[in-house]
Amino acid sequence: MPLITQATVPVSGAAPARRLDRLAIGASGVVTTVGGDPALRRRLLEMGFCPGVAVTVVRVAPLGDPIEVVLRGYHLSLRRAEAALVSLTSAAS
Amino acid sequence: MSATAAAVRTLSVALAGNPNSGKTTLFNALTGLRQKIANYPGVTVERKTGRCQLDVGGPCEVIDLPGTYSLVATSPDEVVTRDVLRGLRADTPAPDVIVAVVDASNLPRNLYLVSQLLDLNLPLVVALNMSDIAERRGAPVDAQALAAALGVAVVPVVGHRRDGIRELISAIADAAVAEAVSDGQARPQRPAWPLPEALWEEVRRLGRELALSSSGEAADIHLDRARRLLVGDPAPDLAGLRTDATVVAEVERAHARLASLGIEAMASDIEARYRWIDAVSARVVRPAPPGPTLSERVDAVLIHRFFGLIVFLTVMAALFSSIFWLAAPLMDAINAGISWLGKALPDWLGLAPAAGAAPGALHSLIQDGIVAGVGAVVVFVPQVAILFLFLAVLEDSGYLARAAFLMDRLLAKVGLHGKSFIPLLSSFACAIPGIMATRTISSWRERLATIMVAPFMSCSARLPVYGLLVGTFFGHLPFWAQGLITLGCYVLGILAAVVTSLTMKLLTARREPPSPFLLELPTYKLPQVSQVARTTWSNTATFLTKAGTTIFCLSVLLWALAYYPRAPLAYLDEVQTHAEAQARATLAVTPAAAPVIAPVPSHPVAAEPQADPVAEAGAHARAQAAREYSLAGRLGKLIEPAIAPLGFDWKIGVGLIGAFAAREVFNSYLGIIYSVGEVEDDDAGRATLGNALLADRRADGTPVWTPLVAVSVLVWFVLAMQCISTTAVVRRETGGWRWPLIQLVGMNTLAYIVCLALYQIGSRL
Repeated sequence: MPLITQATVPVSGAAPARRLDRLAIGASGVVTTVGGDPALRRRLLEMGFCPGVAVTVVRVAPLGDPIEVVLRGYHLSLRRAEAALVSLTSAAS
Repeated sequence: MSATAAAVRTLSVALAGNPNSGKTTLFNALTGLRQKIANYPGVTVERKTGRCQLDVGGPCEVIDLPGTYSLVATSPDEVVTRDVLRGLRADTPAPDVIVAVVDASNLPRNLYLVSQLLDLNLPLVVALNMSDIAERRGAPVDAQALAAALGVAVVPVVGHRRDGIRELISAIADAAVAEAVSDGQARPQRPAWPLPEALWEEVRRLGRELALSSSGEAADIHLDRARRLLVGDPAPDLAGLRTDATVVAEVERAHARLASLGIEAMASDIEARYRWIDAVSARVVRPAPPGPTLSERVDAVLIHRFFGLIVFLTVMAALFSSIFWLAAPLMDAINAGISWLGKALPDWLGLAPAAGAAPGALHSLIQDGIVAGVGAVVVFVPQVAILFLFLAVLEDSGYLARAAFLMDRLLAKVGLHGKSFIPLLSSFACAIPGIMATRTISSWRERLATIMVAPFMSCSARLPVYGLLVGTFFGHLPFWAQGLITLGCYVLGILAAVVTSLTMKLLTARREPPSPFLLELPTYKLPQVSQVARTTWSNTATFLTKAGTTIFCLSVLLWALAYYPRAPLAYLDEVQTHAEAQARATLAVTPAAAPVIAPVPSHPVAAEPQADPVAEAGAHARAQAAREYSLAGRLGKLIEPAIAPLGFDWKIGVGLIGAFAAREVFNSYLGIIYSVGEVEDDDAGRATLGNALLADRRADGTPVWTPLVAVSVLVWFVLAMQCISTTAVVRRETGGWRWPLIQLVGMNTLAYIVCLALYQIGSRL
């Protein structure tokens, strides 16, 4: 998977911005920003994707989409297109 | 509200909470069997109310509101919840007390809705549900600390064990009494979320502005409206303000001032609530010990990349086959019982015809109209009940969300939703429970698409028709080839569904983007027997009353169509005499009068004792003349020009009319037309009818039924919308005539075009 190489690129200074849909299974990140049209953005924020919240990718559905994540202690599945709206910094694991 | 007024009026209590917070279990625990399930007028959302006895203040009415994550609604269900809570529905007054049902094992996200409920400024009680799960996980919630943080009563409950229900009822009564006594002064003090000071400033500024243009309302009401205007709450109670030019200008200026500070009102508001929630959670709940929970370990297998699909396919295969195999013996027994009752009931009522006389109209109405009509409904009950039972277990356990997770990719491609899978699978038994099951799809667009394509799934009412036609016209083929033809019918239906759904997706893509998936995977729970039984019963009862009434009425109507008007006896006598004379003449030419009908190879029929062939031909012609004379016969003749290009003659037309009650009525209607007597839905019955079809000739001596005609009829049954009860249910579920009519016209047009092309091209090859 090309995503892993991207994730392991050594960076100095600020952690690189990453998108939730590109996180490997088991990887975590901390939410920085949430995009999307206003209604979807609001729902993502309301479901708990606020800046500073840790999100972990638990698994990917057998057909490759959607993905399952854990945040604020609960399990949520969302499509990759929706996960792409959530930007993260690499987590202090 | 004064204390006396509260004592006179029945108190209304609304249960609000996130999906999967155990709201319905709690509702059942509060109300027991005193429940009423209806629809909110104008929408398709279920309205569940029940009665509950308070210690003080007498009975109260409890409303189970649809689950929602937020009062900023995105689906019809959530709109109902918001409107009831904000007092915006004429049919349901704003509740006197709100019970916020909170999943203790998932506190932070549940508290988000609570923060919005606190804003409503109504008496509020928090029911801390599933506290057993939270404790088992080693992360118990301190109810007292939570109550202190929220400023409202918090009652730990375990809905399915009825733990804490008494305390909850007391807390509801206390909240109501405190409200009545203090005249609103005892309402919860809203905790202050740490909104950025600049945003507070704008809220206060706009609040003052709003207070200027209206009088008599409390300042905090204006503050709340100001905040909601600034965060862009689309609720209809603000519609007037949102279109007010002064207010719009104020809001725009405020947004501009905030933007210069890098503050976005909507996001700031949500983030402030979550900052408050995080602080509260840290105080009241011990962090769960690390390590996977039981539910997570179960999911490691159940939605595993590889095993997940195997488990899924096994579950679905079990569901699908049990619909047929478990229900089959019951359905056979019901069929046998109905056909026995049809014969016996008129006799009990003293309607038995005198020896030699023909049975009267009432006799026929009871046997062929009423009893057959009831039978047509009841025969589906075992299947429908088993289906609803499975669905209830899947939903209650939490597996339904996993099934949607597994299937979403496949279905999203054609414009459906992961949750469309089970309604569509159910539709292979019967589209009606399938369409009712689409209620679990929260996004309207995908739900509508699922409803529109569900009738393309070959339901079990089509099977007898497939069986008759494939057995009769392709019975000489090997067994597997017959199976392939039947399978082809199923595949054709699925293809039509895919094409339809894709078309709908393309047509609506510009106006409505696909709705977000965002599906919580709730903690697995052991399904509660009482809850499953209740859901199964209530859905089956809905099927019986809604679909049953339609099927029954149509059965009686169709009986009347086939029975009236009665042909004059003189005419029938003439036909009979003529047929007998012809038969005699034929017999004279070919004395070895073997029946012209060749037995169908795969269905050898035990030879009936040979009656007098002349008399038989006469009776046959007489019965057929009577049917031809009836309204059904005339309707068949009337539509014949329209259906002839598809290869159908008027008798098939009559069968198609009959199929509107339920598709399998096609067989019995053909049986009536071909006068082979009552067609039992078994191999022998079908073979008898099949032989009659094979023997039927047009005026020019060519057979009416060729394999091509049979295929055309098969395709018609796959694609056409013939089931009026489905149309009635679609109307109910979509809240109007628009979609059922589009579906009815669309499917029948498609069926017509495909059959036309098939027959016209086929007959030229």
